[in-house]
Amino acid sequence: MIYKNKITLFFFLLLGFQLSAKDYIATEFGVKNDGLTLNTCSIQKAIDFIHEHGGGRLVFESGNYVTGSIYLKSNVTLQLDYGATILGSTNPFDYVKDKKIGWMSMIFAVNQENIGITGKGIINGRGFTTANNMVNYIHRGVYVDPLKYDRPNETNRPQNIYFRECTNIKIIDITLKDPASWNQTYDQCKNLYVDHITVDSKSYWNNDGIDVVDCDGVVIKNSYFDAADDVLCFKSHSAQHMCQNVVVDNCVGRSSANGLKFGTVSRGGFKNFKVTNLTIYDTFRSAITFAAVDGGEIENIVIDGVRSINTGNVIYLRIGDRWSSRKKPYMKNITISNVYAEVPFGKPDAGYNFEGPIEDLPRNISPASIVGLVENKIQNVTLKNIQIVYPGSGNPLYAKRGLTPAELDGIPEMREAYPEFSQFKELPAWGFYVRHAEGITFENVTFTALKKDYRPSVVLDDVKNATFSGLVVNEPESVGKQQVFPYKTSNLIIK
Amino acid sequence: MQKLFLKICLIIVMSQGALCAKDYNASLFGIKSDGVTLNTPSIQKAIDFISEKGGGKLKFYVGRYLTGSIQLKSNVTIELNEGAVLVGTSSIYDYVGANGIKALIVADGQQNIGVSGKGVIEGQGPTVLEQIAKQIQKGYLQETISQASPALIALNNCTSINIEGFNLQNACGNVIALTACKQVRLAGLKIKSTTNKETKGLVFSKVDGIKLENLFIETVVSEIKSDGLSTNISLVNCQYASGKSLIFKN
Repeated sequence: MIYKNKITLFFFLLLGFQLSAKDYIATEFGVKNDGLTLNTCSIQKAIDFIHEHGGGRLVFESGNYVTGSIYLKSNVTLQLDYGATILGSTNPFDYVKDKKIGWMSMIFAVNQENIGITGKGIINGRGFTTANNMVNYIHRGVYVDPLKYDRPNETNRPQNIYFRECTNIKIIDITLKDPASWNQTYDQCKNLYVDHITVDSKSYWNNDGIDVVDCDGVVIKNSYFDAADDVLCFKSHSAQHMCQNVVVDNCVGRSSANGLKFGTVSRGGFKNFKVTNLTIYDTFRSAITFAAVDGGEIENIVIDGVRSINTGNVIYLRIGDRWSSRKKPYMKNITISNVYAEVPFGKPDAGYNFEGPIEDLPRNISPASIVGLVENKIQNVTLKNIQIVYPGSGNPLYAKRGLTPAELDGIPEMREAYPEFSQFKELPAWGFYVRHAEGITFENVTFTALKKDYRPSVVLDDVKNATFSGLVVNEPESVGKQQVFPYKTSNLIIK
Repeated sequence: MQKLFLKICLIIVMSQGALCAKDYNASLFGIKSDGVTLNTPSIQKAIDFISEKGGGKLKFYVGRYLTGSIQLKSNVTIELNEGAVLVGTSSIYDYVGANGIKALIVADGQQNIGVSGKGVIEGQGPTVLEQIAKQIQKGYLQETISQASPALIALNNCTSINIEGFNLQNACGNVIALTACKQVRLAGLKIKSTTNKETKGLVFSKVDGIKLENLFIETVVSEIKSDGLSTNISLVNCQYASGKSLIFKN
């Protein structure tokens, strides 16, 4: 009987919850779905009304809704039904550059809780047109921007979503398209849940998949990203904050930059990540890249299950000293397991909009790399069950980095440079290059070169405590070749 | 002698700089004349820009310019040339007010402002009124109809105002509402707003110095209303549509 009462109570609680989350139809507020009317004020009115009346969902039924900047408020969810598209205005003047955030966006939220954007509808920023209209205004002198590289600054182009200091966010089922700047940014937020979203973000410079900045408690799963710039991008803008307690599962990404990226801005750090079942394909730079170049701390990262197909580089871990401002960055306790990767000979993102720039030439195919600093080594990295297929065919007449002390020491440290896998130009290994590290474990790792390469597969430089067990190297015409070359390395164990 | 000449030149150049308000075409700011694009933020951006640059005219030429409330700023004149129609949007949440009076063109605490030209301001009164009634009925809009009805022009606490030459039609609320303004000139306006019975042609309160010249006003009930707290009022050659010449009790 008591049990039955509990069930009844539960039922009523459930009912109560559902009743309080009321649905409001957008068009009821005079919002037009004609694809022409700029609905900014009406949508804002609707959000404010729902927020002031106990919360609920603002439902966009099938149709095209044009808007400029709107602010989402606590306890309001934007529900985009199948067939509903929120179209960003193509006029930059219809967007607000939020004073606190310092960026433009279509959908803002600042200091709100229990908010969401859900449903099978689409948010389309129409960013290419908007960005070009902004260029036009700048040329006419009615908007001030240095127009560096002939593009407006990232902060003067609208993103689709920018949430700052919000708690309990749900982004479910939606499709995000064509922003003018990054795409969706969650900055100093708590409890962000992203599930089953689709991102098509390659309409203009800097279009990312998702940017998570200094957030605590993040789940991103079952999502697909096609982005001109980084796909899953975790950043740390504030030295007092960090990205932590993050789960990424079952995501697929394509990029003309990197797949899973920590940084580049990396002031606070990144801790306690678990990334599983990640697929990265047709990607110009690295499938996985962690940068601690601005004083940030990277610790306790587990990556399990990666397919990296037709991607320029597989793993790039880097400590640098760019904007550290006397903070001492570190990177330790990283496990990457169950990886299958294919690195192509040609350009992996050829033909996509906003292709990555061909740079750091001449160099033969770059290896995966772990590169710390002399006084600041990358610590405890375990690579387990890894299989990487390279094209090989490194040609010393095109670019050469030999194995003499002079040549190995001649590789620049590039402490203050922007971190990219190709930054050192030609490296002396075709499979994996490790420099300034301690506690590196390779377990059951296979490197395959499809053609003969002049370099060995692995070079270790200034490494303490490296253990290889079950290393397999396949390279044609290379019988008797020394495939692991240690330099200034102590306590190397090859089982 | 040469020095004196240079000084004179300098004075001329400087005074010209101060006097010569610049002209800006609406298209410079991406304002669209298609009657469909809601231009509120672009027109506002234009006004803010011109005011920050020291003032001037924002010129509209042939076309229908759809907009919600725009806020006029110091030293800016909106010039509606022949064939230019500034159209009030039917979307009621795009209107804001000055001193509690909503309007298509509002200004609060500004100086040297104006609206001129031979164009039209069209309020779309019946459509706006219908939307207001619906939103009140649904409970989303918690205002009375008269609070929610936008005027065409509402100015509060402004000084040195010139409104001249154009046509004003189909206001949802009143046509022109002035509160606590100084040095006002309304001249050569053709006001025709008979779609809402309640609409008044001109309402003013606590205005010091108002010249009404060559006005033609057609409303259903009340053409001009003043609350008796205004001073220095002059009337020259103003007419009602009914044919009687314009007089009113202050």
